[in-house]
Amino acid sequence: MMWRQVLIIGTAVLVSVIVELTLLSRLDFPGATPDLVIVMVVAIALAMGPTQGAVAGFSAGVLIDLAPPADTLLGVNAIVYFAIGFVTGVVIDPRDRTVPIEMGIVGLSAGAATILTGALDTLMGSGRVSWEDMPGMALSSALYALILAPVAILGIEWIVRKATPEILVNRGVTVAGRENIRQ
Amino acid sequence: MLSRRTRVLLSVLLVAALTFIILDLRGGEGPLSGIRNLGSNVLGGIERVAATVFSPITGASSWWGGMRDQAAQIQTLTTDNERMRSELDRLTNDKARVAALDGLLRVANVGQYRIVPAEVIAVGPAQDFSWTITIDAGKRDGIEQEMTVINGDGLVGRVLKTTASTATVVLIVDSTSAVGGRVAGSEEIGIVSGTGRQDALEFQMLDPLADLRNGDALVTFGSKGGRPFAPGIPIGRVSEVSGTPGQLTRVATVTPYINVSTLSVVGVVTVPPRTDPRDSVLPKSSQVNPSPTPVPLGGGTSADASASPAPSGSAKPTPSPSASPAPTNETAATVLPPKKKKKPSATPSAGPS
Repeated sequence: MMWRQVLIIGTAVLVSVIVELTLLSRLDFPGATPDLVIVMVVAIALAMGPTQGAVAGFSAGVLIDLAPPADTLLGVNAIVYFAIGFVTGVVIDPRDRTVPIEMGIVGLSAGAATILTGALDTLMGSGRVSWEDMPGMALSSALYALILAPVAILGIEWIVRKATPEILVNRGVTVAGRENIRQ
Repeated sequence: MLSRRTRVLLSVLLVAALTFIILDLRGGEGPLSGIRNLGSNVLGGIERVAATVFSPITGASSWWGGMRDQAAQIQTLTTDNERMRSELDRLTNDKARVAALDGLLRVANVGQYRIVPAEVIAVGPAQDFSWTITIDAGKRDGIEQEMTVINGDGLVGRVLKTTASTATVVLIVDSTSAVGGRVAGSEEIGIVSGTGRQDALEFQMLDPLADLRNGDALVTFGSKGGRPFAPGIPIGRVSEVSGTPGQLTRVATVTPYINVSTLSVVGVVTVPPRTDPRDSVLPKSSQVNPSPTPVPLGGGTSADASASPAPSGSAKPTPSPSASPAPTNETAATVLPPKKKKKPSATPSAGPS
């Protein structure tokens, strides 16, 4: 049931990118913009596995870099989200995960994504990144991600359980877990 | 742990991302521009729809944001109202005169820009450190790259990219943005660059000896053919001057007129005015401040000169554009006590009335 996974990932990623750019960033929260996209990528990685997480991260990053107000290098967000999607999928054994741990992973990922993207942009010669503002940005991004995390994690998990139960990796629901990711 | 297929998939994605970065770094019309155009066209269309769906929420939030400075707003509006009421009486007379002058000079619509109105539909995430927005007007509406974007308060930015139905605008506060600016009244020119912060711009004066005071208003200098910046558009007000006159560079912090976080309706200048309107487009109170109430240079207090309703004296002393180095100006310079070191020549000599 490959196409179902593709559909879930595609929809989740597209919706989160659009909501982030047209709604969340316009609400003018202090500090960073709540990064719904990274939250969604990590939620997918946690519920479906590292490969799906990496695919979701890559496509989300490409979309973020393509969607209109973006004026950053194409591929920077893709590579960062790709790495985060993969790493969060493998970092903790599915059977050891609890919701607080997963929320922590999401928060850390959001902070890391902010810093990594900034670092990569700076390396590629963008003069925009202001490193004195970076700690505040990373912290606020992580905080917003923590708040968004439960909704995204439970939502994605619910969808995966309904649509493609055979790959649900989470909390030992499927013992086969990672063996299934190759489908 | 991972199957061969998975490893292949992951490496393909990794290589793809790296390729994107490398190709994009090369810049210009590379093989990526096709993907870019297609992607931004499709996503721009979706964003337009989404912005409509979310408009009740974003609208409510900008109303909430506005609440915070509503008290100040009421006060400004009341003073404005009174001033305008008195002005209205003179206006009828002026109108007739303007019409006559217009006919004489064959310059219709001085300071009139032909604009295409548009609404903001998406904003770049703050953690990208880029101040860019998407507006819901594109090529179909006659919008092209490097057009000026303004709103009721002043200069917003310039058009960076366009798709069929949307356009990406770089705001003046973006750290890559640089605008040629002119001090209203004294005609001194310089470069206004973004700082990446939404409430501050940096103004670098080309003539380090020229006089610059807190509260001075800046307008765009204008580019060739009105692109990317049409002339005479209000940019902001000097809020802090650093560096003493005579230093190699003269840098000032400028508060932009626009409020970046509450941008909603903007206008894209499709046809710039035929002649430079100079500073006639500035809000009245921010034209040259004729009163001898100088704010100390680099004043940490930065007593907001804008708050005091500038004496809109009917006989506004027009300072000579070519602040000629005449020693007679010494008298004018002595009015400004804290500026002893300043060369007395470059004051916008508000002639002793």
